[in-house]
Amino acid sequence: MKWFTPSRAQLLARLALWAMMAVALFVLTSILAFVVVRGLPHVTWHFLSQPPADSGRGGGVLPIITGTLQVTLLGIACALPLGVGTAIYLVEYTREGRLTRAIRFGSECLAGVPSIIFGLFGFVLFVLTLGFGWCVLSGGLTLGLMTLPIIIRTSEEALKAVPAAYREVALTLGARKWQAIARVVLPAALPGILTGLILALGRAVGETAAVIFTAGSNLPHRALSSLFDGTRTLSVHFYQLAREGISADNAYASAAILVLAISVISLGSSLALGRFMRRYQ
Amino acid sequence: MNATTKIAIENLGIRYGDAEVIRDLDLTIPRGNIFGLIGPAGSGKTSLLRTLNMLSVDIDRATVHGKLLLDGTDLLRGDVERASLRRRVALVFATPQPLPGSVYHNLTFGPRLAGIKARSDLDHLVESSLRSAELWDEVKDRLRRSAFALSGGQQQRLCIARALALRPEVVLLDEPCSGLDPISTAKIESMMRTLSAGLTWVIVTNNTKQAARVSDRAAFFLDGQLIESGATNQLFTAPVDPRTGDYLEGRFG
Repeated sequence: MKWFTPSRAQLLARLALWAMMAVALFVLTSILAFVVVRGLPHVTWHFLSQPPADSGRGGGVLPIITGTLQVTLLGIACALPLGVGTAIYLVEYTREGRLTRAIRFGSECLAGVPSIIFGLFGFVLFVLTLGFGWCVLSGGLTLGLMTLPIIIRTSEEALKAVPAAYREVALTLGARKWQAIARVVLPAALPGILTGLILALGRAVGETAAVIFTAGSNLPHRALSSLFDGTRTLSVHFYQLAREGISADNAYASAAILVLAISVISLGSSLALGRFMRRYQ
Repeated sequence: MNATTKIAIENLGIRYGDAEVIRDLDLTIPRGNIFGLIGPAGSGKTSLLRTLNMLSVDIDRATVHGKLLLDGTDLLRGDVERASLRRRVALVFATPQPLPGSVYHNLTFGPRLAGIKARSDLDHLVESSLRSAELWDEVKDRLRRSAFALSGGQQQRLCIARALALRPEVVLLDEPCSGLDPISTAKIESMMRTLSAGLTWVIVTNNTKQAARVSDRAAFFLDGQLIESGATNQLFTAPVDPRTGDYLEGRFG
């Protein structure tokens, strides 16, 4: 074993790690590339601006894009204030204790629950018990429940990362507790909270199982559905087109729109965050 | 209660849970004066300082008993509004603690909370407090720049200016020069002297030379107890208690 010198071990480790990185990168980019290459040629202005026709064999996906946006934004609109509020309460108004541990444990369990369970819960609660039926409202509320733990968790971390000195300084300058939180702590935690928001947005916009049970899978025909209209999100549309063998081309085109939209959200938000951080500091 | 008394402390005790950090304290701090709190680490002087504006109660969960009279009003009676108390009794921390945002934002944060909204009033406050803290000439062209871009010494003077912008009656300084260069320290000390006519300063310092240079009166603490207090030159030249002399001459432990 003379050839196995420390410097060779060094080289070997480096090569092995590089190879792992290369494999991981290759797998990830080829998934993205596969979807985009298969789908993008079919994403035309017509496809983006027309309602679907013939069960999705023809026409476009405009009402599906707007339906996806409606369900996602409604979900985030519910989860964001609830989640941030819960996090503020946990970090600023309680000391570590049994209550905070219970809430944290609960929200971590919730974060690990498969989305189809949320779908089932949303179906039973919103669609059946409350009688909303398959609609934007049921889907949005379900997505809100699903993204709530993500928002609580990330907001909590963001608030904890704000230096304790900021709170003390605000108090010594004559701020009441809430003023200190609203004017000093929250702005300092904003980048972290926004990161959580984007994570939640990404999960919600691509969610399939939770919305197929709650928003339904009927093809919408109007661009803007009412809260009580059933709708279909892009990922559900992809699922239906592919599973029923209706149109592989349109399925990939929908998938490409979804993937590109998520990429644009991530990229745009990280750019915006960078700018915000530079201005704020 | 004497007309020259700003703060009167009677039979004061401060504890954190079971640990008593200040015991049976009686002390009078006169107005228009620089009052030094000296003593080794752990003697309770910072806890006392943070209790003078009730920060120890709100942040460190200290329990305080006894009497703490500011202009004759007992701050421990519970009906004293904390936010307005902290405008009257401002505090500057040991390390410079600018808030994120511009120099201007730092200086106007407190006054805005106090309800001062007019731009001209705020501008005037910013200029006058920066001049008082001997910082105006250095930062007048970068009021809109981040406070973090200033040097450490400038940041600390900004924090003092920020406290002065509250138009306080008392300013508490917790080892304000511990991390600063001699020039910044000298500027802070000369500013304290200049402003001591209309303002009461209480300064905690581990630097006995600084206490000798800057304070009019001083109190020496050891293990949560006041050993002695009096005029600074008397304390430094003819201390009554041998422990005071030992500490001031560096013969301790």
